[in-house]
Amino acid sequence: MRPSLRTLGATLAAVAVAAVAGCGADDAGGGVDLSQPVHVDVTAPPPTRLSAYNLFAWDPATGYTFNPTDDRVVPYDLNAPLFSDYALKQRAVYLPQGAAATYQPELVFDFPVGTVLLKNFAMAPDLRAPTVGVRLIETRLLVRYPDGWQPLPYVWNEDQTDAELAPAGAFEVIAFTDDAGQARTANYLVPQKNQCETCHARKPTPTAAPAIVPIGMKARHLNRGYDFGGAVGIANQLERLAALGMLTGAPATATIPAAYDLRPLDTGGVAAIPPADLDAAARSYLDINCAHCHDPNAVQGITSQLFLGHDNTDLFRLGYCKRPGSAGAGTGGFEFDIVPGSPDTSILYFRLATETVGAMMPLLGRSVTHTKGAALIHAWIAAMPPVDCTTM
Amino acid sequence: MIRTTLTAVSLVVALAACGSDANDFPTNSCADVTGTCVQIDGGDVAGLQTTVNTLSPNTTIVLGKGTFAMTNSLTIRAAGVHLIGQGIELTTLDYATTAAQVNGVDVQGNDFLVQDLTVQDAPKDGIRVEASDGVVFRRIRATWTTPSDSTNGAYGIYPVKSQHVLVEDSRAEHASDAGLYVGQCQHVIVRNNVVTGNVAGLEIENTQYADVYGNTADDNTAGIVAFDLPGNPIVGRDVRLRDNIIRNNNHVNFAPGGTVAKIPAGTGTFAMASRRVEITGNTYQNNNTGDIALISGLVIEPDTTKWELATATLAGQWDDLGLLPGAGAGTITNYRSENVVVARNTHMGSGLHPDLNDPLQFGVLLILIYATNPVDSVLYDSVGEPMFNSTDAAMNSNANRICVGGNTNGTFASMNLAEQSASRQVPFFRPAAPFAPFDCTTLNGGPIADVVLP
Repeated sequence: MRPSLRTLGATLAAVAVAAVAGCGADDAGGGVDLSQPVHVDVTAPPPTRLSAYNLFAWDPATGYTFNPTDDRVVPYDLNAPLFSDYALKQRAVYLPQGAAATYQPELVFDFPVGTVLLKNFAMAPDLRAPTVGVRLIETRLLVRYPDGWQPLPYVWNEDQTDAELAPAGAFEVIAFTDDAGQARTANYLVPQKNQCETCHARKPTPTAAPAIVPIGMKARHLNRGYDFGGAVGIANQLERLAALGMLTGAPATATIPAAYDLRPLDTGGVAAIPPADLDAAARSYLDINCAHCHDPNAVQGITSQLFLGHDNTDLFRLGYCKRPGSAGAGTGGFEFDIVPGSPDTSILYFRLATETVGAMMPLLGRSVTHTKGAALIHAWIAAMPPVDCTTM
Repeated sequence: MIRTTLTAVSLVVALAACGSDANDFPTNSCADVTGTCVQIDGGDVAGLQTTVNTLSPNTTIVLGKGTFAMTNSLTIRAAGVHLIGQGIELTTLDYATTAAQVNGVDVQGNDFLVQDLTVQDAPKDGIRVEASDGVVFRRIRATWTTPSDSTNGAYGIYPVKSQHVLVEDSRAEHASDAGLYVGQCQHVIVRNNVVTGNVAGLEIENTQYADVYGNTADDNTAGIVAFDLPGNPIVGRDVRLRDNIIRNNNHVNFAPGGTVAKIPAGTGTFAMASRRVEITGNTYQNNNTGDIALISGLVIEPDTTKWELATATLAGQWDDLGLLPGAGAGTITNYRSENVVVARNTHMGSGLHPDLNDPLQFGVLLILIYATNPVDSVLYDSVGEPMFNSTDAAMNSNANRICVGGNTNGTFASMNLAEQSASRQVPFFRPAAPFAPFDCTTLNGGPIADVVLP
C-alpha cells in the first residue's frame, strides 16, 4: 500500500510543478549560455526557469560549469555541511559586478542586493561511486532582493535540461546505496517555498521580528581550502572571495576561527576523528545541523530551550541532564536530552538516529539516518564523564 | 463598498470559468468574502499548495468540499490569511500519505482564521499556529483516524506563542498528547469545543489571561488542565476554567513519552505550577482517579533551580504575583500552585477506580488511602505549606491561598504529598466543609477579568 501512496505523492508534486509552469510566461526556454553574463533582475518576479539566471550549466556526465563571466559565480564548500538525506551538494555564490559582501566575524556576511546563493541537491544511485549516474533533483536559490532574502526552490526536469520554479515543492521516494553499501530509501522532500523559513528564519535579537537569512555564509564555515581548478587551484575560500573583490573587511585568514572540518568523518567515519577532537567535531556537527532552530534567536526550536550552537557554553541548555519540554514521541522513552556517558539513553542521540516520523530530528531535510553523523554524536556522549542525571 | 463587492463578484466569475462548481461550495464561497479571495476545488492539492506558497497578505482561501490528499504540510507565512472549508464533514485535509515530518497546517502570520474543515492524520500537530497575533479557530476538527495510537500526532489544535486567540465550536480527537493545546499564549478564549479520545483533552500551558468555558472533555486520559513547565518565560496567570463538562476521562494513557505520559487515567482537572486560577461552575462526572488536583510543579521537576527565570526575560505582567525569588540574582520561580479558587462545581461518580498504572503511582497512593471509598473531589498536594496536620484544622497553614468551597457534592483533602511514598503513606487532612483554613472564597488581587479580544 505504501509504495503506491508514495507514487501518488510524486505524481501530485509533478502536477504541482506543471501547474506552476503553466502560470509563467516570462521566459520561453533558450537554456543557459555561458558566453553571456548572469542575469538577475530583482525588480521582476522570479523567472519560472532556472536557466533564465544563466548561473551554471549542468551535464550529468561532466558536472557543473559555472558562468565564467568576470568570475562572479564562485563555488564553495563548508567545513561542516548540513546532512540532507545523502544528497550531493554543490554550492556557489554570485555577486553583481562591482558589489562586495561585508565580512562579519560571527554572523552571516552582509550581502548586496542582487546576490544569489545557490545550492544544488543531487542524488547518486550508489554513493560508493558518487559521480556515476548522478541526477540533479533541485536547486535552491536565496536571492537578495531590496527588501530581504527570497527563497526560491527550483525542481529539475527528468531530462536534466532545466529546473522550474516550484513554490509548492515536491516529494519523491528515492532508493540508493549508501557509502557503506547499504540499501537506503529516502522520502525526499523538496521544501515548499514557505517551509524554507523553518530553517532560514532568524531573529536579529531574541525579541525582534524574524527575517530570512542564509546559514552557511559565515566566516567559520567558509574558512577552508577549495579546489577552484585552472590557474587558481586550491585556495582558501575567504581569500579567494577577497581577491575577486567579492568580500571586504576580512582580517587575516589565520586570525579567523574555523568550524571543525568534518571531511574526515565523511571519508573515514568516527574512527577518523582523533579522540581529542571529538568535542569540537560533535559541536560543529550539531551547530550546522541543529542550531538554525536550536538557538535563542531562532524561531522554531526555542520552545525547547535546547541550544546547540557552537558558542553555547551553558551545558544545561546544551542538554546535559536536561528534560525536554514537550517532546512527546521524540523522547524515545528517555528522560534527558544528554545523559553524559550514556548515549543510548540520551534523547539527543535517539532523535538523530531514529527514522520514526514524529520523533526524528532535524524536522525537515532528513528522512534517513546519517549513519556517520549519528555515530559521531554517539561517540561524543559516550566519551563524557558519566553522570547520574536522576540524582541531580 | 460597491467597488469591493464588484471585485468579489468578478473574481467568482473568473474562478467559475476555471471549472468551479457552485455545488462544491455549498457553505462558504468567495461571494461571501470582501477582499482578495481564491477558491480551490475539493481535492486540488497542487492548486492549494501553489496558492499558499505564492500568497499575498490578506487573502481568503475557500476550499471546496472533498478530501485533499496532502503530501506535505500546508504552510502559511503571510498575515491576514483566512482558510475556510465547507464544514468539518465536507472538507478534509488528509495527511495519511504524508511521509514528511510536518504539521498538517503550519501557520505563522497575524490575523489568521481557520474555519469549517477537518485536518486528519497529520504526522505531527494538526493545526499549529505560532508567534501570531490574532488567531481564530472556528468549527474545525483536528483528528486522527486510529484511536489510542501512540504514533498519532502530538497536538490537534495548537496555538503557541501567540496573542489574542479564539478557539470555538471545534473538535479535537485522538491526539497522542493534547487535543487542544494552548501553549505560551496571551489573551485567549476557548469556548464550546469538544475534546475526546486524547491523552490530555484541553491544556492551558504557560499562558496568561485565558477564559475556558462551555467545553466538553469526554473520554480523554485527563480532561482540562492548566500548568506551567519549567524554564518558560511566560509565567502562567489568570486562567479561568468555568462551566465546562468534564466526564468519563478514563482513556488509557497512550502517550509515547514525555511529561504527559505520567498523567493518571481518570483525571478530571489539574492545575500545576499555576497561579490566579478559577475553577468554577464545571460539571465533573465519572473521572475514575479524581476530579480536581492542585499540585506543585516540583512534582514533575523537583529541582527548584530549573524553575528559575531571569526577570529580565519574563513576558507580560508578573511583578504583582508575588513570585518566589530564585537562588540566582534577578530570578524568580514559578513552581508553586497558589492563589486558586475552586467553587460552584458539581461532582458525580468520580474517584472510584484510581489508575493503578501511572508511573508516578498517584493511583496506588489513592487506593491505599481511600480503599473502596471515593477519592475526594479536590485534592491539594500541600507542597510548600509550613504546617500540616491530618486531624487538626488549626494546625494547617494555607500559605498558597487555596480556596475551595460551595461545590455540589464536593469534598476536599490536603495530601501532604511530600511525606508520601510507595513504601509509606501518611494520612491526608480531610476536613468537612467549609474546609478551613482553605475556606477563602476570593483570589488575592481580585477576580480574574474577562478576556477581551479585538
